[in-house]
This record gives sequence, C-alpha cells and structure tokens, in this order.
Amino acid sequence: MKLSTVKPFSARSISALILLPLLAAALELPARAAVMKRGFNQLLDAVVRIDVREIAFEDGAKRYSASIGSGVILSEDGLVLTNAHVASPRAIELNVTLANQERVSARLVGWDHWTDLALMRIDMADVKRRGLKFAHADFGDSNKLFPGEVVFAVGTPYGLSRTVTRGIISNNNQYLEDLTGVNGYETGQFSTWLQTDAAINPGNSGGPLVNEDGKVIGISTRGFSGANNLGFAIPSSTAQRVVTGLVRDGAITRSYIGLVPGALQDLESFYSLALNTGVLISQVDPDSPAAKAGLRGGNDILLAINGVKVVGRFPEELPGIQNLIASQPVGASLKLTVKRGTETRDYTVVTEKLESRVGEEWALEKWGISVRKVSRTYAREKQLDDASGVLVIGVQPGFPADVAGISRGDVVMKINQQPVVTLDVIKAAQAAYEAKPAPTLFEVKRSSRVSLYILKP
Amino acid sequence: MKFRFLLSALLLGPCVARAAADLPALWAERAKCAVAVEYVTVTETERQPTISMGTVIDANGTIIMQSGSIDPRAATWQLQEFKVYLPGDATGTPAEYLGQDAFTGWHFVRASEQVRARLVPVTAFAAKGPVPVPTLSEFVWGVGLRNKDEDFAPYLMQSYVALIQSLPQRTAISQQEVASPGLPVFNRDGALVGLAAASFGQSYLQFGRGPRPQPIVLINVEESSAFMLAEEMLPYLGRIPKNISGRPLAWLGAYGLEPIDREVAKFLKLGAQSGAVVSEVLEGSPAEKAGLKDRDIILALDGQPLPQLKPDRVIVTYIEREVDRRAPGDTLTLSVLRGADRVELKAVLGEEPKILREAERKYYDRIGFTAREFVYGDAIDRHVKIAETTGVVAHFVKPSSPAGVAGLRPDDWIKEIDGAEVKTFASATAKLAEIDKDLVRSEFVLLVSRGGETAVLRVKLK
Repeated sequence: MKLSTVKPFSARSISALILLPLLAAALELPARAAVMKRGFNQLLDAVVRIDVREIAFEDGAKRYSASIGSGVILSEDGLVLTNAHVASPRAIELNVTLANQERVSARLVGWDHWTDLALMRIDMADVKRRGLKFAHADFGDSNKLFPGEVVFAVGTPYGLSRTVTRGIISNNNQYLEDLTGVNGYETGQFSTWLQTDAAINPGNSGGPLVNEDGKVIGISTRGFSGANNLGFAIPSSTAQRVVTGLVRDGAITRSYIGLVPGALQDLESFYSLALNTGVLISQVDPDSPAAKAGLRGGNDILLAINGVKVVGRFPEELPGIQNLIASQPVGASLKLTVKRGTETRDYTVVTEKLESRVGEEWALEKWGISVRKVSRTYAREKQLDDASGVLVIGVQPGFPADVAGISRGDVVMKINQQPVVTLDVIKAAQAAYEAKPAPTLFEVKRSSRVSLYILKP
Repeated sequence: MKFRFLLSALLLGPCVARAAADLPALWAERAKCAVAVEYVTVTETERQPTISMGTVIDANGTIIMQSGSIDPRAATWQLQEFKVYLPGDATGTPAEYLGQDAFTGWHFVRASEQVRARLVPVTAFAAKGPVPVPTLSEFVWGVGLRNKDEDFAPYLMQSYVALIQSLPQRTAISQQEVASPGLPVFNRDGALVGLAAASFGQSYLQFGRGPRPQPIVLINVEESSAFMLAEEMLPYLGRIPKNISGRPLAWLGAYGLEPIDREVAKFLKLGAQSGAVVSEVLEGSPAEKAGLKDRDIILALDGQPLPQLKPDRVIVTYIEREVDRRAPGDTLTLSVLRGADRVELKAVLGEEPKILREAERKYYDRIGFTAREFVYGDAIDRHVKIAETTGVVAHFVKPSSPAGVAGLRPDDWIKEIDGAEVKTFASATAKLAEIDKDLVRSEFVLLVSRGGETAVLRVKLK
C-alpha cells in the first residue's frame, strides 16, 4: 500500500455518469437544522477549484505540467487556503474557479510543505472590476473532534465541479511522516493528521473537511492509494497557525537542532524510567547543534525543554515534541534536560534554521540536465563532506550530459575545475557555454566515487 | 551443428580431413586435464552446494578454477567438502582447497592422491618453444563437461577466433562457445592456446504479450566463447597460495579508481595514454604515506604510461593487477596529475588490512544472528575513521528469530549491547554469550546504526 498525495490528476474524461432523480426533501427543518443549513451553504460558496500550471525540472529540461486541486476562501479579501502540493513556488499560473463558476486568477502568498499548506490571494482588483461575489468559510476547532463524528469533504475531485462527500472522523490523532511527501519535500513531522472515511479523490486536495455546521476542521490532503476510504486531512488547529504565519511573513520559519525523537514504549525499564517520562533521542544528526552540544542518539532521554516536560511514549506524541522545538526562535539557546545512564544534566543547544533536503532547482537545457542544489540536510543524509555541488535530478537522452555518461543521482562538484558552490556557478558556466560552445570538464561524484566527463557541443 | 561441421570438413579434401579425423583422439587425450569441482558453502542455517569446472596444472593434482567459482564473501572455513569429479565419473574423490591467488584470481584445489594418476596436467599440451598465439579466423576447440546427472560427460566444442582484445589480459573471443568456463582451449594441432573465461552477456529481444519486445541479456554459464590466451596463463601457474588465506596481499590504498575516457584525456592533453582518478586515499594506507591525494589522476606506474584500453573500465583492473602482482614491501612509483602539475610518488606497498572473508564471526542461534568483526572495509563503506571504529556488524539475521522480529537487519552496525558500548569483537561475543546462556532473561537492547541513522532495538527472548 502506498501513501500518496491525492492531487495528480489530469484526466478530463468521465467514463460513466450515473444520473439519479433528485428527491426534494418534503420534511420541514427544525430550527437548529436551519442554522446548520445556512452555515453549510455558506461553506459551499467558499469552496473553489484551483487550476495550476507549474514548472518542472525533472527530465533535464524545463517542462510545464498542469493539475487541478481544491481550496477554501478564508476571508473577504480573497485569501484561499490549499495544499502545498497543489500551489507551490513552482506554479507559474494559478486560476481559481469560484462557486458561481466564475474564474479569476490568484497569486501565491506563501507555502509550508512541512504541513502541506499553501495560501493564495485572489486578484481582488479583478473581482471588484467584474463585481464577482464569493463567500468565505470559518475555522472550527479540530481539537474537539471525536472519532465517529460526521464530517464532509468538499472539493473538486477529478475537476468535477463542487462535490460533497460524507464520512466520519476515523481517527483524530493519526501519526504519519513522509520524508518525500510533497513532491519530494518533507511533510508530517510537526503535526498529526485527521483520518476520515469521507471519499477523498485526486483533485480533492486542498479542499476543506467540515463539520455539519460548515466549519472548516481540516484540509483534505492525502489518501492511501489502493486502500478503501483511508483519507487524511491537516487539522484546523495546525492550519490556523500556519495561515497566521503565512499572512504575516509569507513563510513559516522553524528551528532545527538535529534531534530525532523516538517513542519510548516498551523501553522504559531498560532506561530505568517511570512510564510517561521523557522521550528517547533516537538519533542525533551529525554536525547538528545537538551533536555539537554532545547529545548521543540511542543513549539519551530528553526529559524537558527549557524546563517544560516532554513525554513521547507513543509515536503520536512525537510531532508535538518536534513542533515544540521547531517553534523556538532561530538562534535561541535551549536548555535540554537529558538523562544518560544514571546521570541527569542540562545541555545548551543553539537552534539553527530548519532547511528542507530539497534545494533550489534549475534546468541546464543545452547540456540536457536538470539539477538541484545540494542542501545541508541532503549532505548530512548522504554523508557528503559539505553542501557544495548540485545533484543531477534528470537527464535528457541524447544530450551532451547523457552522451558523456552523466546520470541521475550524480553530484556535480566542479565545472572546468571551478567548485560548484552555488547554483549560480553552474548557471554562469552554462551561459558561457551557450555564448561559445566548447568542451567542458565536469567532476562528478557518484556515491563515493569521483569521475571526470567532457560535455561536448 | 557440430556433426555437420565434421561432415563438411570431410568433404573438403584429404588434408583437412586428416586433421579433423585427429580431433577425436586429441580431444579424448586432453579431456583428462578437465575436472568438475564440487564444494559446499556452509552458512548459519543452510548448506549450499556449488559445482564449477577446473583445469589440472601439475603432477601433484593441482587444479585451478576461475575467480567467480567461489563467493568472495564466504569465509574459508565455510567452504567445505571439496570433491573432484573426473569426466564421466559418477562419484567424486575428496580434495583440498588451497586458497585464492589475488593476481590471477584463480582458486586452487588439490585432488587426492588416489586420482592423480588418472589426471593429465594441461602443461603437457603446451607447445614446446614459443607459446602459440591464435590468429584471427583460426580454428580452436575446447572441452565442455555436462552436468552432474550426466556424470560430467566430456564433450567437444569448436569455433573460430573472431577478435582478440586486452581486457587487460589478452583475451580471444570466438564465434561460438568454445569451452566450459575454467577449461582449456586448443588449436588444430592440439597445442594449448588459452583458458576459457566467464562468458559475456549477449543481448536478445524477448517477445511477450506486451506490445513491444523487451531487451534482455542472457549469459551462458555453462559454455564460454571468451578465453584468456595461454601467454596470460602459463607464466602464472606457479602462483599456488602459500596458505589458505591467500596472503600476503599487496596493498596500495587508492580507493574508487575511476577511468577517464578519451575525451577527458584529450582535454587534459594526455596524448594517447589513459589515466584513472583516485576518488579517495585511504586512511593509513601506503598511498597516503606516499603523499597521494584525493582526486589525483594516476598516469603511469613505474614509469610506464597507462595504455588506452577499451572499454575504459579495463584500466582500473590493469592498475589493480599491477598492485596484486607485487608483494608487500615492493616499491611502486606513481606518476600523477594533480591540478596542472605532474607529481612523482614512491609508494612502498603494505599488507592489505583484514578483509571481509577473514573477519571473525560468531552465530547465536537462540538470539538469531551472527556478529561479525568490524573490519577496515566496513569503515570505508560507512565513512568513518578507522581510529573511531567500535562495534560489530550483524552478518546474518535469522528470519523470525528474536533478533529478526526486533528489526535487526544484515549489515546493521551494532554499537551497544544492553547499554554497554561494544569496543571490540571479543567484548561483543562475551556479552552476547552471557545473554545467550541466561535462560531467565526475557529481553535485551541493541543500539544499531543503519545508513547513518541510529535505532534502538528491543530483542525479546521469551
């Protein structure tokens, strides 16, 4: 079974349509139901379809791809919340279809792949000029949800116009981590998920999961492909926090100390701990602030951060701890209370800015390779000496790089004996090659082996 | 096919007909230097029998087999019950494994005295005087042995030389299969011209139910069309290992040699010679002591410029062989290109550090895994300094055993056992033996490192 984001959708044909006669509800609605109905109708008018055209660097060239997702309008001034895997900085065109079928363009305000959320703003000048109308939705409290509670997913699955599906909350605190979940970007470390059996299909991504009052309690995000009715949504408690941050700064800045927490379940007696005390430091990234402070993976138990006790007995408790660390200011000194063996003492760790393993991407079309800057995180993961070089993420058959023997996964370290410390170095080299094509020497690292190649015009 | 060839040869004229008529007699005589060798690789839970072909090289019943006949990861004590089968024999006789020679790659086996009288060394068929080199289109033939269920019956294979190449050994490629890998090849006169190597992959298209045929590569493991020329074989028959470990082993310590192609050679203005990039100079190695640096390009050995061979990769084998043919203590002069400078270095070759197959191991059946000593190669694979290495490696994990259920995987690097740091292999085995014996204990904890990430594993014993 494979966990997948639910967006990738481009099929526009529908093989079969089942037409059902509409049954008019003859029953009179009680007062409570009327309020609910009003709230729900308002929500329906706030759900939009999002058409995305984005750039992809994967195959050794700049390519455009189109896809469809859903979103929900949050304010009168046209803020639209969706998934980061729908609207990303790679998007070059974002079009929003309002509930009344009118289409208007939007631009990205900011994204946060760690929680798979993105915020866009509708072109309000155009909305005013054309006198377009839309409603906006309100958040509900995802912390109050209980398993079994009825919820609705609203969106535009497969590009169908606004579609409501119904289900229940299957789990209100599901733990799922996916290191390459958002088009190669990490996701899921900092929050747990709402799980629902409401049908979530490709194209539902970014649409709201709502309660009977039409309050947004989650953002539909992913499903297990091949499974039945296992859908996942980001809880509104997380979404509200991220929206505030994106409106204010256009990005969410998180702190990193290089500590991977692990659940302590079944290991308490080995570490001589009372139940529900501390969290296992399962891993310490090499050269990270935690490593510099002397923390050791597998040995140490983290009891408190700045005096605040942490408990990580079960995997579901880990995102909260990760988030507690991440929400500290960058450059802050944290006091970690750690137990090692029988000794308990404090360690001071200075936080760094959290970076994705995915660096900036570019396509060098004359050579037929697409590349991605090696990030510090990627370098750590692959045990590279430092973060210099660019990773080859795509090769066009028959182009100079392919002919020379360069392949996907290689890291270009030097061009004409110049170290490729930034993406600009390789861009400049390509510009020089374009101006005056000449054989160019590439030094390439493949796992720990170094090879030389000549790219010929 | 073979039969048809003989028939047409008979029709061609009296001269060819006589030579062809000699062939069965020549073949019958020469088949006596071919044997099948069977041995068993004993692992923690299995016995894996293997059969390979070998050629008799002397009157003492010494037999050589190709390097691929034995898994290089297998420890010598795992290789047991060697038997030699003569062509056409239903039963084998016990034989002794003598070890592997690093330079030729050959494994040496010695047949027991009781069958030596029936064996004929291949040297008996070596030409007197200069070693014959087959020419293009020359007729060659060799011996094949059928499978065990056919009592390793010998048969005749024949072909013509199509190509001769340096790989880096001088190797002839014939039009069709000419002998079983590891068995000799002869010319029309019955003189030894080579030893069949492992066969090459051949590309085919496989048509299935899909719309397009699938390209596949097929390798004939029983018959080969490639053979190393006799000149690459005869001078080295004396390299019988002095002990089963194959030591001494010469060591340079230039890791990850990568060939440079002709375009790069041209760009670097190297002319008609080749080179190889040193990816990494290993810690504490003779190469490091000689002053070799990462990314140096080796251009010459003992003043001999590296030749341009095809495919490019062959140059790496060429350099490795130049090291392997020498002994620890020998000096090897390296000429390297460092940036724009040419540098001469003198390396005094050392003794290769303990290799994987020599690492100590201990299997714990109740816990369900084998602890293996951490050796030099493990440190290279894991990018760690030799001085900082502690711990042992999980060499084998028995499926569904306590260790297996806990999530231990082969190649996991065990750093701690039950909270105690594992300093040496001996301390690990002491600790594990204590746990293994303790029938009251219900669990213990392993701290392992896997791909740079650590994990704490709880092994439940009951």
